[in-house]
Amino acid sequence: MQLGLLIKINLKLFIYIVFILFGAACSSEKDDYVPIAENAKLEFTIPANFPEPSYNVTLNPPTEKGFELGKKLFYDGKLASDGVISCGFCHIQDFAFTHHTHIVSHGVDGALGTRNAQPLHNMAFMKEFTWDGAAIHLDLQPIIPITAEVEMNETFSSIINKLEAQPEYVKLFAEAFEDQKINSENILKSLSQFMIMMISANSKYDKIERNEGSVFTENEAAGFELFKSKCASCHEGTLFTDQSYRNNGLPVDPQYNDIGRNRVTGLADDLHKFKVPSLRNIELTFPYMHDGRLKTLEDVLNHYSDGMVDSETLDSQLKDQNGALGIPMTADEKQQIIAFLKTLTDDDFLNDNRFSEF
Amino acid sequence: MKKLAIIALAFLTIWSCKNDDETPAEPTFGSVVLDFKNIIDNNGVELITDTYTNGSNEAYNISELKYIISNLVLVNSNNEEFVYPVDRSYFLINEEVLASKKINLADIPAGEYTKVRFGFGVDQSKYPLNGMANFIPTAEESGMLWSWSAGYKFIKFEGTYSAADTPFLIHVGSHGTNLDNYKEITLDLPNTLTIAESTSPEVAINADIAKIFDSTNTHSLVEKSDVQVDPVNAPKIAENIKTMFSATGVTN
Repeated sequence: MQLGLLIKINLKLFIYIVFILFGAACSSEKDDYVPIAENAKLEFTIPANFPEPSYNVTLNPPTEKGFELGKKLFYDGKLASDGVISCGFCHIQDFAFTHHTHIVSHGVDGALGTRNAQPLHNMAFMKEFTWDGAAIHLDLQPIIPITAEVEMNETFSSIINKLEAQPEYVKLFAEAFEDQKINSENILKSLSQFMIMMISANSKYDKIERNEGSVFTENEAAGFELFKSKCASCHEGTLFTDQSYRNNGLPVDPQYNDIGRNRVTGLADDLHKFKVPSLRNIELTFPYMHDGRLKTLEDVLNHYSDGMVDSETLDSQLKDQNGALGIPMTADEKQQIIAFLKTLTDDDFLNDNRFSEF
Repeated sequence: MKKLAIIALAFLTIWSCKNDDETPAEPTFGSVVLDFKNIIDNNGVELITDTYTNGSNEAYNISELKYIISNLVLVNSNNEEFVYPVDRSYFLINEEVLASKKINLADIPAGEYTKVRFGFGVDQSKYPLNGMANFIPTAEESGMLWSWSAGYKFIKFEGTYSAADTPFLIHVGSHGTNLDNYKEITLDLPNTLTIAESTSPEVAINADIAKIFDSTNTHSLVEKSDVQVDPVNAPKIAENIKTMFSATGVTN
């Protein structure tokens, strides 16, 4: 017995020694290894009622430091030529990361854009980005606002120079990424790590969809039924968008003459088409439409029932066989639909301090 | 039994380290320069000063000529491919900048190579990133990013045409996920390229710029002088560009 125990202990000891020797013998390869602070992986959890993400999380797995860096960059005016206009300037958390009260977004030196800032939530589940799909990957999306003259008007070379002069950024990049470099790729990857964690899936609607004990009021339930028959063919599924581009019959505003998806594809068929937006947190993302022309949800539903103009590319679902335009809705029905839409507000997300500037 | 295990483990440990030390003959690496030359009628392109005539009998001058070369691959005589590390594999050829026309590839395994393959533009199927984003500063400094889009202009070819000096402008890139104008080009080398540790071989590559207008397709400037996000003409021009390169010489 005792001998057996001794051998057991010895065996363990021996294995330890062998491992240490093994490590030492082969350690020369790792001479240039620079120890950096622990960088824990963050859990990316897909909500039970959500589809698989479009973003390949395994290629850019969010980490504590990568997320922290992405958030710092998101709220840092150094990404703009004037040192003031950060991403967070137009994407304000209280309003589901939209530019609340601004019809079109404001950029450096008081410049005005031509479109309304879109909300940021559930970005990992979106296939393409911006109103016209000009960014085909989340990692590339920030290139547009950063370099656009009327937005942040900055260049990546200049941003890299500015960040390299800040010791806290040098440290954060080194902690967040294996190659420890401040470069465009790591800037974009960290911004994506921050954005893919911004999941909004805890609205009343979600709790009902996941059978977590919430129930619709009578009004909301009636609204949901109407929504399913009148809106859900485009605002489809739990993300409330089929991610397609459609012309929803808005009269063209001559001030902008925004050609929409046509700018990306050059196809006449895509004239005046814009991405079907998600309706999550829609109560707070006013004003509405690609150019922020409609102030309230009532205005939006009034547009869909009575405000449409016909054109070559008007979505076929918005025209019946007799040529009548729009989605017929009574005033009561509109109120019920709005009551339902408000169940998509996710207060947990809006108040989640992981995403807050301060 | 346990003693056996200990011995076996000890052996394995020693053997595994020994194996590291005794890798047979360290592989050697070398470099090569791909020397791009933009030509028209067998002569080097002269920006602004020289007037050329295309197949539609339109006289034109070139003021700007830039394009993106990416994803370099060398193929050896056994048809084995050496893929140049993608994070270092994006290059901007700018007619105006001599150094930009010499693509220097380093750390290539020594050997005999018979083909070179590269991409025109940026391959969207390689997204996300993989070093592609680190090309952004170069691209933005030379105006190769579409300002409203997260996409690259694969070529920027501008100048004037006809006696009235009307400007022409040809920008070809991919149109979102709708239309991919990225092209892959494989060139047979006229003689074998030998990569070795201490040599500096060069491969001369001609880009026949006249073929942008006249090759598989014909493009007339009178018909369309402004090609940007043009779903009809951009893919035709990209097809033409695919045919404009040839490897004309290898100096080992």
